[in-house]
Order: sequence, then C-alpha cells, then structure tokens
Amino acid sequence: MLTIKNLKKTYPKSDRVAVDDISFELRPGEIFGFLGQNGAGKSTTIKCLTGILPFDSGTIEVCGYDIVKEPIKAKMQMGYVPDNHSVYEKLTGREYVNYVADLYKVSTELRQQRLERFAKLFRLEYAIDRQIKSYSHGMKQKICIIAALIHEPKLWVLDEPMMGLDPQSTAEIIAHMREHCAKGNTVFFSSHNLDLVKKLCHRVAIVNDGKLIDLFDLAGNEENKANLEERFFRITGTYDRRLFEDYVAQESEDMRPELPVEEKQEEIGDEQDKTEEKKQSAVKAAVERVRNSVRNKKGGRQ
Amino acid sequence: MKGEFSMQSVRTLFKLDLLARFGSTHKRGVKYRIAQYSNYLFFAAIYAILVYGIYYLTRMFAGDGGLRIEFLTIAAFITIIVATAISTGTVIKNLYQNGDNELLLRFPVSGKEILVAKTIYCYLHNLIVCALLMLPFYMSFGAVTNAQVGDYFAYIGITLLSTFLPFFIANIIAVPVMKLMNAVKNKFLLVLILTIAAICGIFAFYLTSLTTFLNYMRREGETLISSGTIYHFRQFANAAYPFRFYAELINGKLYGGLSSGQLALRFLYIFLINAALGVAAYFVTIKEYYKTILYGIETEKASFHKTVEDKQRKAPWALFRREFYLILRSFNYSFQYFAMACAAPLMVLFCNRLAATMGTESLGAKIMPGLMLMVIIIFVTIVVSFASTSISREGNCFYHTKIIPVTYTTQVLVKFALYAVVATISVALCCIVSGAYYTSDAGGHVLSALDVGCIFIISEILVISLTCLYMLIDIKSPTFNVSGDGELVSANKNIALAMIVGISVAVLYGLFAMLFSFIPLKVGEWQISSIGGDMGNIYLILAIVSLVLLGASLSALFVNLNKNYQKIVP
Repeated sequence: MLTIKNLKKTYPKSDRVAVDDISFELRPGEIFGFLGQNGAGKSTTIKCLTGILPFDSGTIEVCGYDIVKEPIKAKMQMGYVPDNHSVYEKLTGREYVNYVADLYKVSTELRQQRLERFAKLFRLEYAIDRQIKSYSHGMKQKICIIAALIHEPKLWVLDEPMMGLDPQSTAEIIAHMREHCAKGNTVFFSSHNLDLVKKLCHRVAIVNDGKLIDLFDLAGNEENKANLEERFFRITGTYDRRLFEDYVAQESEDMRPELPVEEKQEEIGDEQDKTEEKKQSAVKAAVERVRNSVRNKKGGRQ
Repeated sequence: MKGEFSMQSVRTLFKLDLLARFGSTHKRGVKYRIAQYSNYLFFAAIYAILVYGIYYLTRMFAGDGGLRIEFLTIAAFITIIVATAISTGTVIKNLYQNGDNELLLRFPVSGKEILVAKTIYCYLHNLIVCALLMLPFYMSFGAVTNAQVGDYFAYIGITLLSTFLPFFIANIIAVPVMKLMNAVKNKFLLVLILTIAAICGIFAFYLTSLTTFLNYMRREGETLISSGTIYHFRQFANAAYPFRFYAELINGKLYGGLSSGQLALRFLYIFLINAALGVAAYFVTIKEYYKTILYGIETEKASFHKTVEDKQRKAPWALFRREFYLILRSFNYSFQYFAMACAAPLMVLFCNRLAATMGTESLGAKIMPGLMLMVIIIFVTIVVSFASTSISREGNCFYHTKIIPVTYTTQVLVKFALYAVVATISVALCCIVSGAYYTSDAGGHVLSALDVGCIFIISEILVISLTCLYMLIDIKSPTFNVSGDGELVSANKNIALAMIVGISVAVLYGLFAMLFSFIPLKVGEWQISSIGGDMGNIYLILAIVSLVLLGASLSALFVNLNKNYQKIVP
C-alpha cells in the first residue's frame, strides 16, 4: 500500500537531516502508528509521502505509483488530514467537500451518499452549509476528515489527528479508522498518544532524530504492547525511571493528590481568633498527612 | 461585570492597550527602522500635499471668493462628517469587535474599567484625527484672513471643542452601524456593488475637485466661482446647523462677524448640543457595551450560510470556482481586485480627461492615443498586480495545492485564466468607455475607432504578459504571511514589485506613443512616424513588442513550472 525506501530529507539552509534513511512498508488493511517526539521527523516524513515536500533521495510508492514519477496517480489513492486542519475557510463545509470531490473525480451519487453519511457520523449536518470560518477547532478537523475520505482513499494519512478533539469526536474518528481498514484500506497516522496507538494500531514505528529506530507488531503481541511506553521512552532518550513510572501510573492509578482533610480545614477556619502559631501547626499537620499518603502510594507501586 | 472602579486599573489597561497596538520599546533592526521612517516620511509628504491643497482652496473661496462663513461651514461639515465616520469605525473595532474584551475580562478588572480604558483610547484617536483634519482648514483661514496670534489659539480651542461632536455621535451610531454591517457583510455581491459605487463616487469627486483646483491655479486672478455656485454655497451654509455655529466661532468678529454676545450664544448652543449627545452616548454605550461583550452580538447570526447542490464538476472548473469565491468572499481581496477592475473604466476616463485637458493644450490632440494607452495600462496594471499574490494567498492552505491530484500546470493555468478574464473585461470596458467619449462630439473626436481598437489589442497583450510575469514573481518568492482569517496580512513585496514593473512599462509605452506622435522617426528606409502622419507604425511596433513580451513571459512561467512549484515549501 505504501512503500518508503531510504527516504532522506534535509531542509534548505539547515545542516540537520530531518529524515535520515527511513524505510518501511505498509500492508493493506492495517492501522499503522508513527511515533516520535516533537521534531523527530514524523511530520516531515508524512509531508514527503503526501507530496507536500520534495526529498533529497529515496523512493515513495503509494499503491505502486511513485510519488515523484506518477504524482497524480499516487495522490489519487491518498487522503490526507493535516495537523493544523487548514481549510478554505471562506467556503461552506459542503462547498469544500464538493470541491475536493471534484478534484478526485467522485461521481454525484457517491459524493451525496458519502457526504450524508459522514455529516451524520460526525454530527455536522447542522453546520455543513455554514461557512467554515464559523466552525470550531473540532469541526474544522472533522470537515478535513470528511474531505479526505470523500473519495474513499486506499491510504488514509493523518498527522496527529486527535489533537484538541473532544472524546466523542476522537471515538468517532477511531471508529471510522477501524471501518476504513476493515474494507482493506490502510491508515497511517502520527500521534503522541501511546495508549491510543497501543490499543488501535496493528504495527508501530518509532522515529528519533530523523531515524527509524524501531518497528514492531502490536496486534497479537502482548509483550510488545506491554513494553510500548518503555521502548518509546528509551528510544527517544527521555527514559527516566521516576518520569516513566509517573507516566505509567497515569494509565493505572488515580494520580490526584489528596485534598487536605475537611475537618482540619474547618479547624483552621474555626480557630481564626487563635494565635498565628496554632494556625501554622494545623497547616503543617495537614501538609504532613498529604505527604505521608503520597509516600505510601509510591511505596506500594515500587 | 459592573464591579469596582479603580483609575489605577484603567491606567494599566490603557498602557497595555497601547503596548499591544504600537509594540514594545525594544530595539529593532535597521531594516525595520528604515521601513518605519520611510512610512512616516511618506505620510508626512502626503499630508503636506493635502495641507497645501487646503490652503489653496481656502484662498480660492475664503480669500478671493469672499465666502468666508460659507467656506468655514462647509469645512466644518466635511471634517466633522469624516471624523465621525473614522471615529465610528474606531469605536466599533475597539469597543465592540475587539477580541481582547474576552481576554481582558479574565484579569481581575471590572467591565467598567475596560470600557473606560478603551473609551480613552477611542477619544484620543478621535482627537488626533480631528486635529489633523480641522487644523489645516482653520490655520489656512487664519493665514488667508491675516488673523491675529490670539485667533490661532482660539482655532485650537475650537478644534478641541469640535472633537466631542463626532465622538459622541460615533458612540451613539456605532451599534446600529455594526448591526447593519453584520447584516450585509455576507451579501458579497451587494458589498461589491456598493464598494464599486463608492470607489467611483470618491474618485469622481476627487478628480472633479482636482480639475477645478488646477484650473484655479492656472488662471489665478480670474473669477472662477460663478454666481450660481455662490448662491448654492450660501444656501447650504445658511441651513447647515450646527456646523455653522463652529464656522461663526472661527470667523469671530472678523469682517462683519458676530458680536461677543452672539458668539457666547453660539458657544452655548454648541455646549448644549454636545451635552445632550454626550448623555445619550453615555447611556447607549453603557447599555450596549455590556450586552455586546456578554452576548457577542457582533457575530450573532453573522455566519454565512448557503445551500449548494452536490454535483460533479471538472477539476479545472472546480479550481476556478474556488479561486473566484475566495476572492469574492473576502472584502479586502474583492476590493483590491474585482472592485478596482470594475471601477477602472471610470477612473481611466476621468484621468484621461484631466490629462487631456492639460496635455493637449500644450502638445496637441496627437498625444491622445499614447496618453490613453498609458492611463489604461497603469490602471489595469494596478488591478492585475493582484496576480502577484496568487500563490501567497493560499496561505495555510498551500499544502492543499500539493496533495491534490491535479498537475501544478493546471492549477496555475486556472488561476491565470481567471486573472486573464478579469483583465480582458477591464481593458475592454476601459477602451469602450474612453473610446465612446473620445470618438464622440463631446470628446472632440480626438480618437478614431481604429485607434481605440489598436489601443485595446496592445493593452490586452501587454496586460496578459504582465499577469504571467506577476504570477512568476510569486511562484519564485511567495510570502505565506496570513492573518487569523487566512488573508494576507498586508500587501507584500511582490505587489510593490509588480506595481513598479507595470507602471514603468506603461510609462515607457505611453511616452513612446506620445513622443513619436509628433516627432518624426526614420529607421533606415522605414519612416516610422512623421509630423501629421498616422499612428499605424507606432501601434505596430508596440503590438510586436507586446507579443514578444507575452511569449517570453508565458515561457518563463510555464517552462520550468513544475520544478519551481515543487521548490515552494509552506
């Protein structure tokens, strides 16, 4: 579905290699996660494969079409959702989707069916005939997704698609990713959400400093799933035991620090007329209790 | 909202506002400073020309014409109306539409403090505008009527007094005007038509005034103001209250003016009018400001809504429609492009008439074809300079042009087609309007239909080749500097370059045609032009040069287009 071989990209007027000899292949019907820290080279890779950025060397093939030699055929197979969800805001949602559908030669009947279905799925029916300018952040993201899917692309590329979206919209996008793959299509997306990638993707690649460091299966491999966070932290050079444990704890435990106990607060409130010394000792006692409880929690985890 | 009030908070908010508007006091680069000082110099030069013009008008009417009160009344009327319009815009923008209302309310300050801080800014802005508008009139009046030193101080005082009327009216009418603007802002065609009418009206008024003014300068000493004009001036001045009160205060006791008692009465009238308007403005603002920032009425029901049919179209036509709608639905772009293209024929006619009045008197009617050619190319160049932002205007959506399955050549061709259509319509209308006038009795038959046809062909070919060149400039060096709503922040360097190139070419073409319309030119055996001869050979040379330019610019744009386009990185 997508084959990237020895991709290399350096930005003009920059010594740093943004993407350094990256190679991987995407299979039909899979959801592929692309991980890396900010500036690791994820977006650059995506921009190269969608034709936005020219690259120095290597090849990119989409459904067997080389993005450089046969760009129109390659782009015809792809749907892209950018991270900044920039769209032509002066158009209405329907005008924009129709415009994109025209470019991808989608017939009137098909676009009507799809637009109606997507508008309903993403709850945009009431806004589809309004100017995009008036849309919220999430609505713009949704219209980008509808436009990217209007021609049912074989390869659906999303750059950090869940950023800033409400849980409902995130769930809708995830559901549609699964539906899209079930039809034999491929989804390729970059993300910072390790938990989502762990649950959703068949395979994952981790990039760091422009290099592809690791690529492994998640589907049916419980060990890889369990190790994803640690591998990511280690690869990106940010592994720190305390930081990592805190991150993992987010998934399993309630991280809220305990509130100072009510009765102590009441005590403090009631003793307003008492001396400053007494007030201080009450506060100290409350703080000590919180400290102890946090200590106990950490001890239990270790 | 209507919590406590502290002048300290108001001062802080006001300072914050000024800092946000005019930037920090940090040292900037040399380039920035040069650009800044150039802007100041440019503004000062324009203002000096304006003041000079006002002085001449004052001499013309208040001095030689003896229409002192009438002139001052009209001056007060015009300046107060203009100041009211500007002040209304400032109040709407700062008080009601500024997004920082929401931001400021997050600070521990009350709505009243924000309102007062913003009102202070609006008033100071109004004060500066009024001073810049009114003082040249009043000071010129003093100079023309040999006023005493004390009178000049009185003029400054009356200017200060005059600042309240536009400010109070602006505060009263701001909300209705804003609602009206919101009601029509999505009626793009209506806005375009109104803009075209406004441009034509302002331009016609400007050039009529300029023609009268130039006539006055040339025939100084002669009485140019007819008794009919004097009668209308007097009628207007007698009815134009309260502006006449200001005029009478300025005139004071000069030349059979009013007595001290009468002047005091005029002052009282002005005071009472201002007090009434001030109270009304206070209540309107207090009521509307809170309502507006709480409920956001400036955006209420303002979102554009249109139901279109889901229908398949060819990709080039879809691209063409998108480009057209993006221009039409942006006030800035449709003003720069469509409105100017539609208003160009009238502007060309007025300019031709003005230039013809001066030029043909000294050089003869033979220069008329060259003059018309130059004026048409200059105006249409200004219109098509819009093509020099064809790629930059994509802004944040530029990535879209790279991911769609349409070749870069098709995308650029579609844009080029749209610009070529608009340029052709504009050139044709310019030729029809000016041609109809100069081939008629009213225009003195200084042009033949053949002249007009040749001018059309030459201008059309040249303008199309300039369009190609402008698009190439933008492809080579686009600037994706867009504002919040996706529009270019300001005219970029490409527009300036396009204008310089276009105007230079227009002047060269015009000068060539004008000079050789009365200077004989022979190359070898070929007598290109002769005294009293026709313009055929001149047209032929210009047409050939234009065709060569067209060929060169088309190949420059399209030959390496893919390579050049691929290099553009958003």
